[in-house]
Amino acid sequence: MVNFEDLTLKYTDKLAISQLSLSIKHGEKVAIIGPSGAGKSTLLFHLYSLLKDNAAFCSQKQGLVDGLSTYHNVYMGSLARHNWLYNVVNLVTPFSVPLGEVNGLCHELSLDVPMAKLLAELSGGQRQRVALARALYQRQPIFIGDEPFSALDPLMAEHLLKLVLARHSSAIMVLHDKSQALSHFDRIIGLREGKLCLDVTQDELTPELLAHFYSHESFPQPCNA
Amino acid sequence: MPKSSPFIGYWLKTTLSLWVIAFVCFYLSDTEIISLDPWSELQRMGLGLVSPDFFATEYLLEALWQTVSFALLGVFVGLLWGAPLALVYTNRFIAAMCAVIRSIHEIFWALLFLQIFGLSPITGILAIALPYGATFARVFHDILLQSPVTTVQTLPAHTDKISRYFYGRISHVIVPILAYIRYRFECALRSSAVLGFIGMPTLGFYLETAFRQGNYHEGAALLILFITLIGTISFWCRPTLIILYLFCAVFTLPNIPSVDGMLLWRFISQDILPPALQNLDGFSQFDFTQLLNWAYKILLEQALPGMILTLLLALSALAMAHLVSVSASALAFKPLTGSIFSSVMKLLLLILRSIPEYIFAFIFMMLLGPSMLPAMLALALHNGALIAFLTLRQSDTVSVSADFNGRIDGYCYDILPKIYPNLMGLLFYRFEVILRETAIFGILGVATLGFYIDSAFSEIRYSTALLLMACTALLNIVVDLVSRRLLTQSTRGGLACR
Repeated sequence: MVNFEDLTLKYTDKLAISQLSLSIKHGEKVAIIGPSGAGKSTLLFHLYSLLKDNAAFCSQKQGLVDGLSTYHNVYMGSLARHNWLYNVVNLVTPFSVPLGEVNGLCHELSLDVPMAKLLAELSGGQRQRVALARALYQRQPIFIGDEPFSALDPLMAEHLLKLVLARHSSAIMVLHDKSQALSHFDRIIGLREGKLCLDVTQDELTPELLAHFYSHESFPQPCNA
Repeated sequence: MPKSSPFIGYWLKTTLSLWVIAFVCFYLSDTEIISLDPWSELQRMGLGLVSPDFFATEYLLEALWQTVSFALLGVFVGLLWGAPLALVYTNRFIAAMCAVIRSIHEIFWALLFLQIFGLSPITGILAIALPYGATFARVFHDILLQSPVTTVQTLPAHTDKISRYFYGRISHVIVPILAYIRYRFECALRSSAVLGFIGMPTLGFYLETAFRQGNYHEGAALLILFITLIGTISFWCRPTLIILYLFCAVFTLPNIPSVDGMLLWRFISQDILPPALQNLDGFSQFDFTQLLNWAYKILLEQALPGMILTLLLALSALAMAHLVSVSASALAFKPLTGSIFSSVMKLLLLILRSIPEYIFAFIFMMLLGPSMLPAMLALALHNGALIAFLTLRQSDTVSVSADFNGRIDGYCYDILPKIYPNLMGLLFYRFEVILRETAIFGILGVATLGFYIDSAFSEIRYSTALLLMACTALLNIVVDLVSRRLLTQSTRGGLACR
């Protein structure tokens, strides 16, 4: 599905990803972990830019529009499926078909707010689910998410993770902790300082390995993954 | 060079420099108080204010409606040509053209169109639509720049351009843009009234007549109506009613006199040309030294002194507006002065910002005699009140810390640092407005650039007027560039108070 070698990405002032090689196959569910500033989001966005024709992206910044309704924010996931006139008219008076679809999707995500409610009035957890709903509504085979459940409680997060994984044949997600959410993924990748330090399958993953990975957090040592 | 204290931050330096410059300007200006018997005039004004006569004006309803309809149509036409330009504002030519159009005051545009179209509604509407459209282009462009780009990044690939634009960009900015249009409509009402000064049939015409003739009962009534009109915009100007209003405005326009093509052609080909270029039969008759002499004379005798006085007036007024806005925004802050006093202050601010500057100038001129002081006070009160009003909207949402002691020292530690950068930003933005508004005082007789332009028009020296208008535009553009640079320097990385 995606394959690159010796990838180096940098911002103007600092190196984000250095000489990283990675190959992800179709159907794989990959979790990316690592301390903050390790380059996870940069790598993820790069993966998205390679896969964007078939992938839905749920960004950490969410990209929600405060001035629009909940419905419109979710509907934006389907912009590419309709022509511009349909989209613009829908902005003024929502069509009933997508309205029903979006409403149903929101119910599945336990997001029981009126569809016309302005986004600015939603809570942090609700906003995150709106962003997630928008990504799901894209109906793509690949899901790429940057900490898509960080503002939710563990129970809700697990429920939604299962839902997302069931609806996409492939998934790549950044997760911010060593939570048990990892058990739902086939493969776990660990990043530290822009380098690949951990790349194991679900079977190979042990608590010791994880502890070892995180224990180096504050020491800039060469990795031997 | 003395070592500067680390505690003297950017805003302190800016404020001190502003005050030093303004002090020098004030010293150089003519601020002598010459007044023969101000109190009897003031007494009559006061009497007029307590017993306003609402039935003295013959065409009151027509005047009110014309004021509204010129403002509506002006803003509408301005939006029609200004909003699309916002999308191509990055083009340097467009930006320069808008800057020139914007920098010339409505009243000068009106004076110019008056020569072509006469006292026709076209004059009034165009005079508002031109500078407003140019302002819309720039402001919409700025607002669009601030809209976050993350939304566009998360949209599905292959989304078409138009949907991408509407959902990803416009939807972010539609609320501030609508708020801005609403605010500009309020400004347009004031501009529309000002056009009465040069004879358009709006409220300003009757207002000026009443005040000049000393009919203060009638004048006060008109003033009260005008303030009420502005203060109640949100009640009568509902979004759903606007289309209806627009139709009414178009259908009730006064008759448009036919434009004489010959006259128009003569105006463009002869009247607005400098004397050296008029009635030329061939290029051989062209006398370059005559043209230079003409320009040199005007620049030296009118443009230069006009510019100096304009700047002196505007800078002094700016510092006074600073004083007014800082003290008024403290006095109207509820946790500091209590709910009753702050409500009274807020009402006062509403009245002060609704009254057009020239009415203040007029009143102060009666009291203090003809000098630059009335104009300064008028500009300071009006703009200071407006800045205080906008600052209060911010300070009312700022969270007061739990141990706020409700005293002025607590205010200075807790609130002022949070609102000051915004206040100064507004103040510098208003400087451009203050500079433009000095035009009106020219019409009232203060020897700013506006005075010379008005005189040139009344002496039917159109070429002189045009040259002076170009000088005004140039001055405004330079000042705008400088104040923008000052602001961007300070706001790099957010408006932090240091």
